[in-house]
Amino acid sequence: MLKEKHNPFKDQYRVWYPYHSPDDPCPPIVRQYVVPPNQYLGFQPPNLPQYSKQEALMKGTLWPIFFSPYPPKKRGKKHES
Amino acid sequence: MSHEKQKALLRNLQEVDFVLVELTLYLDTHPDDHEAINQYNQCSLEREGILSEYEEKYGPLMHFGHSFNRYPCGWSEGPWPWEI
Repeated sequence: MLKEKHNPFKDQYRVWYPYHSPDDPCPPIVRQYVVPPNQYLGFQPPNLPQYSKQEALMKGTLWPIFFSPYPPKKRGKKHES
Repeated sequence: MSHEKQKALLRNLQEVDFVLVELTLYLDTHPDDHEAINQYNQCSLEREGILSEYEEKYGPLMHFGHSFNRYPCGWSEGPWPWEI
């Protein structure tokens, strides 16, 4: 099954794992950060699809391509620092 | 609360204002985009309508000549838009 190409506009989270020494008693740390979609768009093309004005106010942007909710980190992961 | 209509008008005004802010920033970098210019002008007309409707019913929203004042129900009396 072809691995779905990473869509930077939808899944904006990047994860990296700092070095975890074998002598380190603590569980390994997981670092997450968000790369906002405007980094991938460059100069904005005209006539992009838009939200309705009600939705735009709630979402904080007029164009869905720029929507970056920055959701809080999922608390579920055990060794989340 | 009795101020439903007033709050709805204010919310509508807020939404149109946000679209205008976005379009203003967009037009700063895309001055030649006629589509956006038309949308911007249409939104500002719409804003004018909402503003006049609100001010006619509930009093001025802005000072320094941006809104007509009156007495009674001028800006010297409450409730302020954030107090309703």
